Order: sequence, then C-alpha cells, then structure tokens
Amino acid sequence: MAEGQTLGELLTRHGISRRALLKYATYVASMMALPPAASTAMAEALAKARRQSVIWLSFQECTGCTESLTRSFNPTLENLIFNLISLDYHHTLQAASGTAAEAARLTAMKENAGKYLLVVDGSVSLAEDGAYSTIAGVTNLQMLKETAEGALAVISVGTCAAFGGIPHAKPNPTGAVPVSEVITDKPIINISGCPPIAEAMAGTLAYLIAFGKPPELDHLNRPKAFFGESIHDRCYRRPFYERGMFAKSFDDEGARQGWCLYELGCKGPVTYNACATLKWNGGVSFPIQSGHACLGCSEPNFWDKGGFYRPLSTAMGTSGAWIGGAALAGAAVGAASAAMLRARKKSSTGEK
Amino acid sequence: MTPEARSPAGSLRTGVVQAVLSEIALLLENLAATGQAGAIDLRSLPLTEADRAELEDHLGRGEVEARLAVAGASEVWETAYAGVWWIRHREAEGEIASETIAVTRVPEILMAHPADITAAAVRLQEILTPRRESAIGEETGNG
Repeated sequence: MAEGQTLGELLTRHGISRRALLKYATYVASMMALPPAASTAMAEALAKARRQSVIWLSFQECTGCTESLTRSFNPTLENLIFNLISLDYHHTLQAASGTAAEAARLTAMKENAGKYLLVVDGSVSLAEDGAYSTIAGVTNLQMLKETAEGALAVISVGTCAAFGGIPHAKPNPTGAVPVSEVITDKPIINISGCPPIAEAMAGTLAYLIAFGKPPELDHLNRPKAFFGESIHDRCYRRPFYERGMFAKSFDDEGARQGWCLYELGCKGPVTYNACATLKWNGGVSFPIQSGHACLGCSEPNFWDKGGFYRPLSTAMGTSGAWIGGAALAGAAVGAASAAMLRARKKSSTGEK
Repeated sequence: MTPEARSPAGSLRTGVVQAVLSEIALLLENLAATGQAGAIDLRSLPLTEADRAELEDHLGRGEVEARLAVAGASEVWETAYAGVWWIRHREAEGEIASETIAVTRVPEILMAHPADITAAAVRLQEILTPRRESAIGEETGNG
C-alpha cells in the first residue's frame, strides 16, 4: 500500500465500490447495535482511515481463536476486514517462519511505533519466569512486554487472554494469567469467549479503525455491543423460561419441544455474549439452539464454577429466588419499553 | 427455512410487530414534515420468523424493487407505503447479514457514491484515450 493512501483509495484500486463499504458498515453497525444512521458515518470514516497495522501474538492457547476468525468468514462481505488491516505478524498464518518471522514483527513494531494494534490470544505464563511457554527462545511474558510497549492498544481475544481461561483453571501449573495482569499502562479491550465470536473481533477492529477509539466497554473491558446482554436475555427459548417450561433431561419431551435448558445447567442467565443473536457458522446455530446448555465460556473462571451440568441454582443460590428475580426483571423491562413507546408517541403528537 | 423457524419458538408471534409499525408511522410522519430520514434495524429486535413474515405482510410491496450484487446479494424494495423501504443485505452464501427498514426518499445504497463516480469517469477516459490517439494516428496516416 502506498504511503499515505486512504482505505477508500485502496478499495477503489481493488475495484471494491463504496456501496460495498456501506453494506459492510451497515452490517457492522447492525452487529454492534449502533443507530442505523451510524453506518453512513462509519463507511465515510473507514474510507478516510489508513490501513491499520496489527501484530497478533499467540501464547498459551489452542488456536481456536484464530480458527474462529478465519474459518467462519464468507469470502465477500466479512472478508472486507482483511482489507482494512495489515496483519504484519501472526505466527500461524504468516508465510515467513523462524528468524524471518520474528524480523517481520520487529520491523512492524519499528515502522508503526505507537500506532499498531496488538492482538493477543492465549494466557501468559508467569511461573518459572515464563519458561513454560516460549516462541523463538523468547518467553511469552518477555515478548508481550516488549511488543506492548509501542502499541496503541491491546486487544485480548479469547477467554485465555482476557481472563486466563483454561490454562488458568485449577491447579494452574504454569501460573497462567490474563494479559491485563501483565500490561497495565495501555488500553485493553477484552473479547472473551472460547472461542470468541468472529464478528465480535472483526466488528471491534472495524470500529477502532473507523472512529479511532474503542467502543463502549463493560466492567470487564468487553465491548458492550457484543457483551451488553446475557445469552438468556436474547435466547429464543426465553418464552419457555417465562412460562416455567423446563427440559428435565437432554432426551425428554421438553428437550424435544425446545423448552428452556436452565435446569440442565445452562449458564445463559449469567453469561454475557452475543451467541444468541449473531450465532455461529454464518448464523446457522448456537449451542442452546443445538440442544446443549450454555457453558458460560465468555465469563472469568468458567471452568471452575462447579460443573457444566449443575443448574445455576445449585452453584449460585436457590432456584426459586433466582427465577422469581429474573421474571420480575423481565416484567419490569417490558413495562419500561411500553412506557417509552407511549412517551415517544406523546412527544411526537405534542400530547402532554 | 432457518433453524429458528423450524423450532417451536420460531413460529411464535410476540406482538412486537405492532410496536414496529407504530415506530415506522412516526418516522414517516417526520419524513413528510421535515424531510429527515430515519431507519429501524430489524436485527436489533427480538423478531421471530413469524413476526418477520407478519411485518412483511403488513407493509406489502410498492412500485420499486432493486437487486444489488454488492459483496453478496442485496434486495431493496419500496413497501406499499411510499418512502418506507425494506433493505435486506445477504452474505455470499445467502444468509441475511443485515435487515433495515429505511424511511427516506431513496435509500443511500441505491445512489452512486461520488468517489465511485470519479473512479468510473477515469476508467471510461482510460478506455477512450487510446482509441482517440489511434483515430488521430489513422487520420495522420491517411492525410
């Protein structure tokens, strides 16, 4: 890419029309629950932006996060994200290996000092000075510190990088910690999930490139656009929950009829992620739709919460009290929505 | 048929369609009075397949339909209510990527962007220029 060239100019050169960019921005804005009018602003901002340098480091991980990002993509609309970034280092995806690969990372760090985004998947081992996990003879701990120093911001993708994940599970022999326990002087965005949803990674990157700042984050530094609602909030089985219709086993009549999986251990009520709306494999399905309870994989310490098949009431308090509270909250949300609609109607007609 | 439509919950009518129609009516009144466009993102709403079909039935089809081949297919049609457009963008494999009700005179996605127009003008000139030179050359050769 020529120095100083905007993404708009780059896309034009590649024969990608502004309509395609607008369609992509509409898609991202919809995913992120931005107002529909934001899509035009995002398309224009992306057209004026420069291609973003990204360095991706993989530490104690299973490569599932990279699989999620690359394999779920269709070759047209969603792949546009790869036109917006310059993936300067990713040791699984890049063609270079060995010394040449590490040289690519150092070159990108030097040429884009203070401007590149650092993406990390996997947790960081602290035990034995990080000796449990090394790349090219350099510990993950050392490489993270060295690479984060010149980064604009850090994006921790996957539950391992965000919260420690499975390496952090008891007894945690490698002393695994999340990125945020090592890097404390840079903005960190967590996109958790095991693996994280591809659209959440790509959408967050697109937002950062377009607007030059992170989207609004929750208390765990996750973009609220993708982690603002629980799985339960948007679950299509929610009507059965409201009616008290629960599957009692995975092969009973209730399960076959698609009733709520709460009593089979579903962690949907306490898990914040977009699986129920964005779904997986190009929007085909998500675990609950496939008949399995949510494991809660986007939450801290999900592996050590007392069992995937134990209902929340067992691990977190009495079932009756919890259900009562949730039902009451549901009713309150419904009442508030109706009140807002009435207020809007009054406002538009001048009625007081 | 989507997996959701096959599920029992997919066939439920939640009643949200009436609220969406009320919102469209407000946006349309505003467009008529001020010329200000508005939009509703259907994917942000908890619509079941039955709700979506009900909304489509209520809005009907109007005078304009367009098909776009832009990073996958897109369909745009004006509903039976002038100024109310249904915009459905699909991914390459046909899944719906986004779906919006736009309340506007013409949806932006149908209009050619100034940058694309500029690039198109350049491309057309590039095609014409060698022919002109060639034509001049022929004239010179003949004279």
